[in-house]
Amino acid sequence: MPHYMLLLYDDPSKWGKLSPEEMQKAIEKYSAWRTKPGVVDSNRLADDPGKVIRVTGNQPRATDGPYSETKEVLGGYYTIEAANYEEAVKLALAHPHVEYGGTVEVRQTWGSMT
Amino acid sequence: MTSAPEVGGLLEHLFRHQSGRMVAHLARLLGPAHLDLAEEMVQQAMLRALQSWPYHGVPENAPAWLFRVAHNAAIDAVRRDRSLSDKTDAIVTELSRSASAMPDDPGLEEQLRDDELRMIFMCCHPNFSRDTSVALSLKTVGGFSVREIARAFLADEATIAQRLVRAKRQIRECGLTLDMPSASELGDRLDSVLEVVYFMFNEGYAAHEGEDLIRRDLCMEALRLGRLIAASSISMPRVDALVALMAFQAARLAARVDQAGDLVLLEQQDRDRWDQGLIAFGFYHFDRSISGDEVSVYHAQAAIAATYARATGPEGVDWPVIHEIYDQLLELNPSPVVVLNRAVVVAKVHGAACALEAIEPLESDPKLRNYYLRLAVRGHLLFELKRVREAAACFRQALECPCSEPERRFLRRKLQECDGGLL
Repeated sequence: MPHYMLLLYDDPSKWGKLSPEEMQKAIEKYSAWRTKPGVVDSNRLADDPGKVIRVTGNQPRATDGPYSETKEVLGGYYTIEAANYEEAVKLALAHPHVEYGGTVEVRQTWGSMT
Repeated sequence: MTSAPEVGGLLEHLFRHQSGRMVAHLARLLGPAHLDLAEEMVQQAMLRALQSWPYHGVPENAPAWLFRVAHNAAIDAVRRDRSLSDKTDAIVTELSRSASAMPDDPGLEEQLRDDELRMIFMCCHPNFSRDTSVALSLKTVGGFSVREIARAFLADEATIAQRLVRAKRQIRECGLTLDMPSASELGDRLDSVLEVVYFMFNEGYAAHEGEDLIRRDLCMEALRLGRLIAASSISMPRVDALVALMAFQAARLAARVDQAGDLVLLEQQDRDRWDQGLIAFGFYHFDRSISGDEVSVYHAQAAIAATYARATGPEGVDWPVIHEIYDQLLELNPSPVVVLNRAVVVAKVHGAACALEAIEPLESDPKLRNYYLRLAVRGHLLFELKRVREAAACFRQALECPCSEPERRFLRRKLQECDGGLL
């Protein structure tokens, strides 16, 4: 079955406004989604802005991220199995990240297409 | 008490309760002047959990995970904080030792309970107003957010936030400590704590428009604090009496309003909706409370609530016994509210005319002339005496006094009954 990556973007500062009770509720919702059939893998990206490597004037240079102008940053990803985009989107739409106002990018991975 | 159900691998209210005990623990290690820092570190630990657990799953021992992360954050913060310079090493050593304690070590569990207890006593220090004590207890020991406290009190967030900022400044300026009060002042300090806890409970219990789950949480938090004190070595029988009282009342939370959100009087409540677990829990603490000679207002009130709880139905209520306890309560606390509640019982035993006489003295008090409860009770008694016109006048007057929306609807219903009686 084809694999898809769900890339989760959000504004990290908004979580700081939640109370402990609300944080627990969010964790419970996220955790419940993670046990759905079709979820293959997941990982969180570290908080630091990371490094970006770009070639400028034939010289590859590593600079500090982020390169994004927006407040939303890529926080983590899930890999899921789904029959097609429609199924993958359906699963992604049910992700609590959407309910909490985050953005989810759904991308099919190349390897699973062949 | 029913055991808390587990949701998604986490105990109900785990974060809220862990937050409270971790703040109490860190505040003791860092010093109460650094309460803000303690809160910030706990918040950071919870944020980390929120970032990590959705991708990696909930760790096997979630409290220990949070505990460790909060400690590590605190160690980093202390090393960075120059204002602590001379104490940095000592605090870091303490924090490191505490962080490496085994999570299932019974000694640690005891230490954490002790820290919570110390924090409760500091939050309820007589220097603070009662409103401040409640807000501070909910924030630091209860793990409630400013927004949740504001919602529970029907106040705005800025007011609560202000109150907390002032309280923390007071902690620093007055040099309040997390030491337990000395033996000579323990009794008085315990009374202040119990007063705050019962006030917190009543805030949650009072009927308001737009019943919110947060209000139930307030009652349950007060009950939890009461239990925590009752389980400690400094407890006294009156603590058990208060816990029993709160448990009996909390058992009736669900039955107290009907589907439409209208008030249901004790006698008309559907007893199947009473929480039997909480009632059993109430009796357990009630039995413990009568182990000594002490008789407090909480004892009398708990005894009344226990008598209601023992009755199998409205007909089975032992009114003469309740009457007798009310007489005791009146001696301990001759407040107008007690006089009014007692009057309803007097009417059951000796008739409404006698009860009317008992509340007569309240009428001359200008503060009580426009108190809705006095007018409501008077109206009720007059109605029983078939003095319907006078009863209607009472309810009408009560409707003009400040009271909550469900209480207002209740008064309107009584007024309609009067109008029906006049036809």
